[in-house]
Amino acid sequence: MNIYKKSIWVFHLNTGGCNSCDIEILDVLTPYHDVERFGIKLVASPRHADALLLTGPVTKEILPKVIDALLAVPEPKLVIAIGSCTTGGGIWYDTYSTIGGLNELYKVLKEEYGVPEPSTVKIPGCPPKPESIIYGIALALGVVQQKVTTTTARVE
Amino acid sequence: MRSNIILGRGDLEVIEMLNKYLIDKIVGIRNVGDGKLIIDVKPNNLVDVVNVVTDKLGGIFVTIVGNDARSIDNSFHNIYVFSLDSLKTYLLIRVKLDPESPKINSITHIVKGADWGEREVRDLLGINMVNHPDPRRLILPDGWPEGINPLKKEFAHSIRPELNNSECYVPLRSDDVVALPYGPYHPLLHEPEYFELHIKGETVVGVEYRGFHVHRGIEKLGESRLTYNQVPFVAERICGICGFVHNVCYCQAIENAAKIEVPERAHYIRSIILEIERLHSHLLWLGVACHILGFDTGFMHAWRIREPIMNLAEALTGNRKNYGLNLVGGVRRDINKDSSARISKLLKDIKHEYDRFISSLTAVKEVIRRLEGSGLLPKPEAISYGVVGPVARGSALKRDVRVDHPYAAYKDVSFKVPTYSECDNMSRLMVRVDEVYESISIIEQLIDRLPGGSILAENAEVPEYREGFSGIEAPRGEDFHYVLTGRFSKVYRWRVRAPTYNNIPALKVMLHEVPLSDAPLTIASIDPCFSCTDRLLVFDVDKGKKFKVSYKALASGWKP
Amino acid sequence: MSRLSWIKTALEVGVVTKKYPFERVEVPDGFRGLPIFDSGKCIGCTACANVCTPDAIKVVNDFTNGFRRIEYRLGKCIFCGRCADVCPVSAITITKEFELAYTGDVINAIEIKFIKCVQCGQYYTVSRHLKHVSSKLNDEALEGVDICPDCRRRSNINSLIHASGVFR
Repeated sequence: MNIYKKSIWVFHLNTGGCNSCDIEILDVLTPYHDVERFGIKLVASPRHADALLLTGPVTKEILPKVIDALLAVPEPKLVIAIGSCTTGGGIWYDTYSTIGGLNELYKVLKEEYGVPEPSTVKIPGCPPKPESIIYGIALALGVVQQKVTTTTARVE
Repeated sequence: MRSNIILGRGDLEVIEMLNKYLIDKIVGIRNVGDGKLIIDVKPNNLVDVVNVVTDKLGGIFVTIVGNDARSIDNSFHNIYVFSLDSLKTYLLIRVKLDPESPKINSITHIVKGADWGEREVRDLLGINMVNHPDPRRLILPDGWPEGINPLKKEFAHSIRPELNNSECYVPLRSDDVVALPYGPYHPLLHEPEYFELHIKGETVVGVEYRGFHVHRGIEKLGESRLTYNQVPFVAERICGICGFVHNVCYCQAIENAAKIEVPERAHYIRSIILEIERLHSHLLWLGVACHILGFDTGFMHAWRIREPIMNLAEALTGNRKNYGLNLVGGVRRDINKDSSARISKLLKDIKHEYDRFISSLTAVKEVIRRLEGSGLLPKPEAISYGVVGPVARGSALKRDVRVDHPYAAYKDVSFKVPTYSECDNMSRLMVRVDEVYESISIIEQLIDRLPGGSILAENAEVPEYREGFSGIEAPRGEDFHYVLTGRFSKVYRWRVRAPTYNNIPALKVMLHEVPLSDAPLTIASIDPCFSCTDRLLVFDVDKGKKFKVSYKALASGWKP
Repeated sequence: MSRLSWIKTALEVGVVTKKYPFERVEVPDGFRGLPIFDSGKCIGCTACANVCTPDAIKVVNDFTNGFRRIEYRLGKCIFCGRCADVCPVSAITITKEFELAYTGDVINAIEIKFIKCVQCGQYYTVSRHLKHVSSKLNDEALEGVDICPDCRRRSNINSLIHASGVFR
């Protein structure tokens, strides 16, 4: 996944979340966490970005706008899904006015636009700590190894 | 009928006045707690009753609760909520509507703030608002099929109807203005919302707002899939900044409905966390305001001061935000001696840092000059729009739920309600600046007086079909929750009215004739929280013509 | 107070930036991180799934293959810790782990074998849950715990009918 040799610039896209992930994203830019020391910079347009920070469960109203923004990010693009709403739909995974998170968004992207899934890192948490977000970006850059794994235990 | 109920002094006065002016129009009257009255009136008398309540009783409009009560008494209910601040009472006016074709006269011509509420009820419950000035859809996404109303009980929360993609949002605007899109994604907005600023030259003359990008169907979810003790976690996620307010407000509404005695210690812990949340929220806002002014030094310092507060919240509750602390009947986690000592020490540090920050900030002339005299909201306008929180207090309106309708542990502490009469962005900033000091003092008092005892009411039973409500002073103003309990430990109806809901309409006044460069700051000065509010409102300064515009056209440099 | 006070403040405060990720950060006690499910302790009672607000914990009963699958989806979890509160055997621990970023999907599952009803031979509950409940009951109440609810209902009705003497 180490396609980003240089600093990654990120565009922040709230797809209908509650704000807490968004304030934690802002928090990683402020003195205590200061991700600009890694060259990570928040930009104002998806066309300038390498990575997209997605928060929120993707509401129906915002869906076409999210897709537009997603398609506007130049290749190779990276999607960093932040917070439980995006990674799995969260509490709203089955309500009438959301589509239920990132996996559903990718389905729409594939079926209606024929676009394959961009490389994605998911950061669960409600909201994730600023440190979790930094860890997630480090994972995306291939600096650290993934800690959590799928397990199945069969017992009597 | 009145023998087994507790009546506060305010209630008695209200009942006296109701007897005086409306004796022949009231069908029923009920008291659900100290300072909480519900009256029933006939639908055709509603307009007269609302007139009396606003003129004679000084009622300020709070919200409308629509309810599909067909399975209870075969009718739709519309409940109009008014706050009688001087009498320390909430007055709810209930009308029962026909189950087949529900309709009611609009009250928007009397109470400007009712515009949103009425359109919301029309969207979500299909109740026809006769004579309402705006026929457009308010809440549901563009292209949502006609005749499907999500809050009707026959609609399951997980149904996702096909949207008709050709339909799009219709802004209203006159021919001689230039429309400047601001959103849905904009560097100065953290949430997806769409403002359309109408400008003549460099001056803003009008604004249109298309919200509802963050409508997640929370009220329906609370009424369908979840049980009582699951709803607090959803309520918390209404808003990521002031979520604990919604959490407490919901719990208090249920406790009011079920008459659950909450232990005193739980009340104190709730109040402490509420004030910690206010501290973080106001510092966040100060930072964002500096950022919008282009003064990033201030932004960084404000957020640096705020960080220890977030860490404190994490140590007290287990999470930096979305604390997950409340259950119906009390709280899940106690504050021990070590934590109290830590809070006291931290507050001292913060006070010192904050003092230095504010005195440095007010020494920057550019910041002060941008703030002074911009975004004016005169007091009479503030009253007519029924604004809440720092916006009201910045326009010399002394409204604070903590004083007007005391809840939790606020009756035991003393604090000032800062008000400023300049009515501009500066006075709204100063209200928040002063409130930070008040919050620090409130937490200190609460920590000193923290009583012992349990933190969770035992065996809290919630009976069927009881109603209750609660108001709370959020960092942004008055938050209001109404609940009607249902069967099988579920909520029958849960209504949330977030503070920004009442403040956004006043933007029409604040933004009138301001230079374009002040518009983002003025919008930010109400500290808007769209995820709480998520409603749609249209202000047309000049009576406008209709245009159709799709977001795609907007994205590709759309011209009128 | 001049504008230079900002510089003074900055100098006095110094650098506050945390060294993370090059240094570990201290997480306070009581922090709600990743919940861990102890398959050795779990009795499959599904209390956790009942309180889970986002349905991150889900129960799938597979009666054909004979096991109950308790699934935890990391992506949906809101880390409220209610599951650990209600677990009767403390099989769920809330850890301080917060470095949870992943690619793909992460699902932790426990599959617990069902036992068969001694009368009809159908799978009906998990043995661990049965054992847990049995240990809290007296001998009298224990009668018929190894029969599925359907069979028990049937036998109850039969015994009632016999007792009433209608079909002697």
